[in-house]
Amino acid sequence: MFSFIAKRLLSGILLLAVVTTGTFFIAHAAIGDPTPGLLGNSATPAQQAALRAKIGIDRPLLTQFWDWLTHAVTGDFGTSWRTFTPVNDDLALRLPVTLSVVVFATVLSAVFGVIIGIACGLRPGSVFDRLLKFVSVVLFALPGYWLGIVLVQVFALGLGWFDATGYVSPNISVSGWLRSITLPSVALALGAIVMIAEQLRNSFLEVNNQDFVRTLRARGLSKRRVVRHVLRNSAPAALTVLAMMFVGLLGGAIIVELVFNLQGIGLLTQQSSQNGNIPVLLGLTVMTVVFVVVINLLLDLVLGWVNPKVRDR
Amino acid sequence: MTRTRTTALVAVAVAAATALAACTSAGGGNTPGGSTAGGGGGAEITELKAGVFLDVTSWDPASADIGFDGPYLSAVYDPLVALDNEAKPIPALATKWEWSADRLTLSMDLRTGVTFDDGQKFDAAAAVENLKHLKAGVRSGQAYLNVADVSAKDDDTVELKLTKRDDSLLYFMGLGRSWMASPAAIKADALAKGPVGSGPYKFVADKSAPQSQYVFTKKDNHWDSATYPFKDVQLLPIMDQAASFNAMQSGQLNLQFANAANLPKAKEAGWNIASKPSSWVGVQFADRTGSQVKALGDVKVRQAIAYAFDSAGILQAVGNGAGTATNQLWPVDGQVYDKSMDGKYQTNMDKAKQLLAEAGYAGGFSVKMPMSPIFQAWQPAANQTFGDLGIKVEWVDMAMPDYQKNAPTYPMFLAVIAMSGNDMATLSDQVTTAQWYNPNPSVDKFPEVKSLVDEVEKAEPGAAQTELLKKLNTKLVDLAWWDVWYQADNMYFSAKGIKVQPVTGMMFPTLRFIQRG
Repeated sequence: MFSFIAKRLLSGILLLAVVTTGTFFIAHAAIGDPTPGLLGNSATPAQQAALRAKIGIDRPLLTQFWDWLTHAVTGDFGTSWRTFTPVNDDLALRLPVTLSVVVFATVLSAVFGVIIGIACGLRPGSVFDRLLKFVSVVLFALPGYWLGIVLVQVFALGLGWFDATGYVSPNISVSGWLRSITLPSVALALGAIVMIAEQLRNSFLEVNNQDFVRTLRARGLSKRRVVRHVLRNSAPAALTVLAMMFVGLLGGAIIVELVFNLQGIGLLTQQSSQNGNIPVLLGLTVMTVVFVVVINLLLDLVLGWVNPKVRDR
Repeated sequence: MTRTRTTALVAVAVAAATALAACTSAGGGNTPGGSTAGGGGGAEITELKAGVFLDVTSWDPASADIGFDGPYLSAVYDPLVALDNEAKPIPALATKWEWSADRLTLSMDLRTGVTFDDGQKFDAAAAVENLKHLKAGVRSGQAYLNVADVSAKDDDTVELKLTKRDDSLLYFMGLGRSWMASPAAIKADALAKGPVGSGPYKFVADKSAPQSQYVFTKKDNHWDSATYPFKDVQLLPIMDQAASFNAMQSGQLNLQFANAANLPKAKEAGWNIASKPSSWVGVQFADRTGSQVKALGDVKVRQAIAYAFDSAGILQAVGNGAGTATNQLWPVDGQVYDKSMDGKYQTNMDKAKQLLAEAGYAGGFSVKMPMSPIFQAWQPAANQTFGDLGIKVEWVDMAMPDYQKNAPTYPMFLAVIAMSGNDMATLSDQVTTAQWYNPNPSVDKFPEVKSLVDEVEKAEPGAAQTELLKKLNTKLVDLAWWDVWYQADNMYFSAKGIKVQPVTGMMFPTLRFIQRG
């Protein structure tokens, strides 16, 4: 088990190194000189040069990279080029917003995806099963932005059950927090629910037709116990989709953050790209990769627990 | 002298956002519990909650923008000079001022008894420190291009020495180029991290989140307290038009930078609606002398293009009707604008083709024009019109930041350019001074224009100068100096109980223009 975790961690660190290094050099190549964007086009060459010196981009790129790297390994991602405040402060401010929405959306996806997937897997071809297929096509066709707006119109402005925009920290009010994150989480989760349900249903049917299940039935096991065995063998596929969903939702949060005016990491990424704010972009990259690595590690551990054969890979 | 050019770019973003934003669907105008959405429930509103569109650029007045920074900075800083509803300079921290006979020296008397939030005293030395800081400023410096020196005459008098007469200096100072900050904070280079001013509100940092929301509470003893009716102010940068409108409908905002597409819903909700010209939309001729494309140097060709475009149609189709179809760029609600001139280029494709033929371009000509996603709303109209005229346009696609950098290198380009509320500022911004959107003013190449400009710049400010500006405006329209299609309005929705007075030149008005009503 230890070597299993060590291997996964090592590959995670390698991934982190490759992605951040790539991002550093690509960002610098793509953005080039950020000073016109940061100062406006009326800045004189002297003013631009002064800012370049202040933010340290007048040094060779490799020197800059080494400087960034040596600080980053200690958890210091430098200073935002726009606000001159620590990048960590920006991340600490934005991360809870996005995580609240994404985690809640993941929970919704898991609960409803599993229930619907099992229901359809148990009765393939039923009205409910066909309805799932139809809904999944419709949901994939609908733009997330539009879906968000419809949810706001109906449940926030029409019924007044939830907040239309903005985020309330749970430190201020837990009920307010739930009111503020429910609609964006639902908007984010709808597609994921259908995907997980579809995946679980297909996996369930596939396992259900295998010889060992027929044998279990022939031995006279109750339906409930057979389903439990089938589920245990179907779970890895659904879990993999769920983990991928979480990472996907993290990236896809920008749409709901726009519609619901949530100042999360999605909008921060967009703003930083527009401003050419490389330190913030790099901080966001590191954070996202760490999340991906951790989620994948957790997934591997759960899959290993569900299916011991995985640990030997 | 020029205003910060970012304002012009912001105008593009705003116009595009307004033009491209989807209409939100129906929604109730009432928040749960029966109080009127937008916060107006009949009771006096004590908290202003404004959706501003863009985040504050910087808390340092020297690095701040005019466009959308006004409300943020006006909460925490006092200006030397403010503007009234007609965009005329009025006293603030400078209680009065006087020009020398040659208009090259400006003396300002300063208010006494004002202190900054860090305890520093506002006096002539502080004003000089600030003015030097603003003159050296990356963005603010443009307002002080003609200022050679600033000095303190005594404890409450400062003097600005100019190298050249500048009739728009006070306007720019009032527009957002004379915010006074603590000299100690300036010296410590601390303003980028947070404001240190003497303004009417105290910034509540622990309730604020950068780029998300900014909270302010009113001071008890501000010298101009009566001008600021709201006890608390929340400013929220919300760029997404749908999110902003939803927030307004749900009562999370009671004032917003609005999208004209939502006008029927705003009327239905009973909100106050205010609008004012903010930017001109059309074709900018960067090559009026024909150095790149010979045809554009011929006035008949530029006039042909002006005749060809259906400005009113484009205003309706792309601009949601929020503006005024006109071929002029002095504001339609100003003194220089001449309504009778709007008939000069009534859409007439036959006349346009005839003019092209007279100029020797019956078969049209070829031209390259830049294009970026933000301008795509206007591209079909431009394509069709140029095509009908026989002008073959090769569009060169680029990202928006590159558009600003590269568009001026093309002979002509589609433009959305911020306007000024001051007639002399319009002259310098749009005609005489090189800007990113006007790289080759070329005034010297047109003797009639040059002599009129000289007359205007020497004239006594007031009626005489305005008359000369009208003549110049007529001349520029005759020469098809630009092909202006329309002047786009900025629009603001506010709950009953809040009234906004928009100001041309400010994308979002400063707090003194937001009152009860």
